[in-house]
Amino acid sequence: MTMTRRLFSTVAFGLAATVSGAALAQEPGLTRTSIKIGMFAPLSGANMAYGFDVANAAKMYFDKINKDGGIHGRKIEVVLEDDRCNANDLVAAVKKLVEQDQVFLLNGGSCSAAVVAAKEYVVRNKMPLVMLNASGDGALYPPTDYIFGAFSISQYAVGGAIVDFAAKNLGAKKIAYINHDDAYGAWNLEASKVDAEQLKVELAVESVAPAINDVTAPFLKLRAANPDALVIVTYARPAALIIKKAHEMGFTKPIILSVTGTASLSQLADNVGGKDALKNFYIQDVLADLPGGPKIKWVYDMYKAAYPDLAAKPDHPQTYMPYGIPSAMAIAKALEAAGPEPTREKFLAAMKKTNFDSGVMAGPVVFSETERAANKATIFIKYDGTNKSLVPGVYTSRWKYKG
Amino acid sequence: MDWSLFWLFAQQGLASGIVVGSVYALLALAIVMIFKTSEVPNFAQGEVFMAAGYLALFLFVFQGQPVWLTVAVTLVVSFLAAALFRRGVLRQVALASGSPVNLVIATLGLSYILKGLVRRTGFGDTPRSFPALVGTDSIMIGQASVTRLDLAILAAAVAVMAFVFWLFAYTKVGRAMRAVGMNPKAAQLMGVNLEKIHMLVWGLSGVVSAIAALLISPKILMTADMGSIVTMAFAAAIVGGFSSLPGAVVGGFIIGIVENFVGLFISSRAIAVAPFAAIMLVLIIRPQGLFGGKFAIKKV
Repeated sequence: MTMTRRLFSTVAFGLAATVSGAALAQEPGLTRTSIKIGMFAPLSGANMAYGFDVANAAKMYFDKINKDGGIHGRKIEVVLEDDRCNANDLVAAVKKLVEQDQVFLLNGGSCSAAVVAAKEYVVRNKMPLVMLNASGDGALYPPTDYIFGAFSISQYAVGGAIVDFAAKNLGAKKIAYINHDDAYGAWNLEASKVDAEQLKVELAVESVAPAINDVTAPFLKLRAANPDALVIVTYARPAALIIKKAHEMGFTKPIILSVTGTASLSQLADNVGGKDALKNFYIQDVLADLPGGPKIKWVYDMYKAAYPDLAAKPDHPQTYMPYGIPSAMAIAKALEAAGPEPTREKFLAAMKKTNFDSGVMAGPVVFSETERAANKATIFIKYDGTNKSLVPGVYTSRWKYKG
Repeated sequence: MDWSLFWLFAQQGLASGIVVGSVYALLALAIVMIFKTSEVPNFAQGEVFMAAGYLALFLFVFQGQPVWLTVAVTLVVSFLAAALFRRGVLRQVALASGSPVNLVIATLGLSYILKGLVRRTGFGDTPRSFPALVGTDSIMIGQASVTRLDLAILAAAVAVMAFVFWLFAYTKVGRAMRAVGMNPKAAQLMGVNLEKIHMLVWGLSGVVSAIAALLISPKILMTADMGSIVTMAFAAAIVGGFSSLPGAVVGGFIIGIVENFVGLFISSRAIAVAPFAAIMLVLIIRPQGLFGGKFAIKKV
């Protein structure tokens, strides 16, 4: 009887091991000792500042996980590809990671337009994609089962939160608002309008092309609206041109720049012609503290320890570096929650339940059955061209996806 | 819109349009110069402009060279680079096939090379400001607000245009350039060294582009994509009549002013399409452009 029981137990164990082994064998990128993650970011080219150090931050967090013993005994292996923030390069990188490198999941994308281009392929292949720091609203709304993002912030939240700040903190009743005439601009404006309506604020809107060279016309029209504040929700170059023009034309009301408007505040000060143009200036940020501030100092310390050579260079860590941490944290937490025998389905199910405060970003990472955008909160910094001071409070958008 | 606002917009639009239009005019001049003598539209003109701007930025900001040396080196390098491209690449392409399409593709190749080179330097990663060599404090002209830099841009652009016209109209080398443009074989028979003239025209076009870059860079901020401004210059050249130097200048001012007026009186969203609307309008009403002269069948 005992023999029979032993034999049965051995056979059952063997069968179980075979079945789970077979299941593991069917999950690409997964072995008993490793989980392969396909990472992609702009490692070269004009948009390198948006993602090079973000990828480094995610990698250093995975290294920390590995040093602490990995996830259920598995070490994370990162395969990194350069997407140059270009849709063609990004889709090619994704295909290589999925088909050639056979990764378990994807973790990448620092530029929204480029990462949205991979949506169709990712969904068709039922591949988990956890974005790095791209807003990627176009891939998050309507929600799919496979794509999670906006660890920095969604563009909808950028637009809503900046109006929230202008109205609540600066008491603006009429806001001059300049955005881009592309998808980004439309997302920003849609949420801004929701907040403006609820806060009973009037918006005077001018939408411009990202490649605009002469901002005289839109600025003059905004000034003619006699606003209480000027909100700029554009990319870096148009933003600097508008601030410069506002200074040249003697505009003294508060100017509030979205987080998308510059990757370097000191460069912004140079580009607008000096400090005088920033006398009444606020910049939106999505971190939990001032860059390098006490709440997030550990991230910068970790970076210095992980990349001493890079940290010694003048432009490093790049501004967006900490954004890589919450994305990596979310992956680690979901893998942990997926259990010792993870599958992509289990990982995706765990991602949908992810809810934690990274301590790095202004708001928590909250996903649900219907929500794929992680962060919706922002802070604001008063910047005078030299000094930065944190404005108290966290500002969020009232916009909700309605399907 | 009330009358006072209309009047303010009109004055400001005109002033800003003339300033930015003067830079479009310079670039259009550079394009037309080459087209007149070789019938090749130089699609790398914007990148020559951009690369010259970055060279000046590197010398002045990152190397701390004095202004005079920065300007001199930028102009000389731009001249040599453009002239040598003509001699080393376009001549070989022309000898190999003679097809204008291949020459155009060679200019496209140059545009990619220059953009790639600037990106490789790392300076093109973020928008950068070339320090204004003239003050940026405002001056009121009527109700229009312009900066001293704006006035300096306009004055310098007009001076360069005047020099180019003088060169083409009153000097021996200018007459040779025009002769090459009208009938290269006849010009050669008259003793004009065709290749030398082509190199000179390309070099001069490079210098004019570099001057445009030095003038406008403090205003528009520098990125590796700043060469896209050449689209406006092509629009100016087409409006003016592609083979006419005065046409290029007038076209530049028209495009600058139209851009501003469309932005002020119609919509900011329409600024980007305004130059193309102007092209369509001109091509419908006067297909040869404003200064293009009558259509003629070219003798072969």
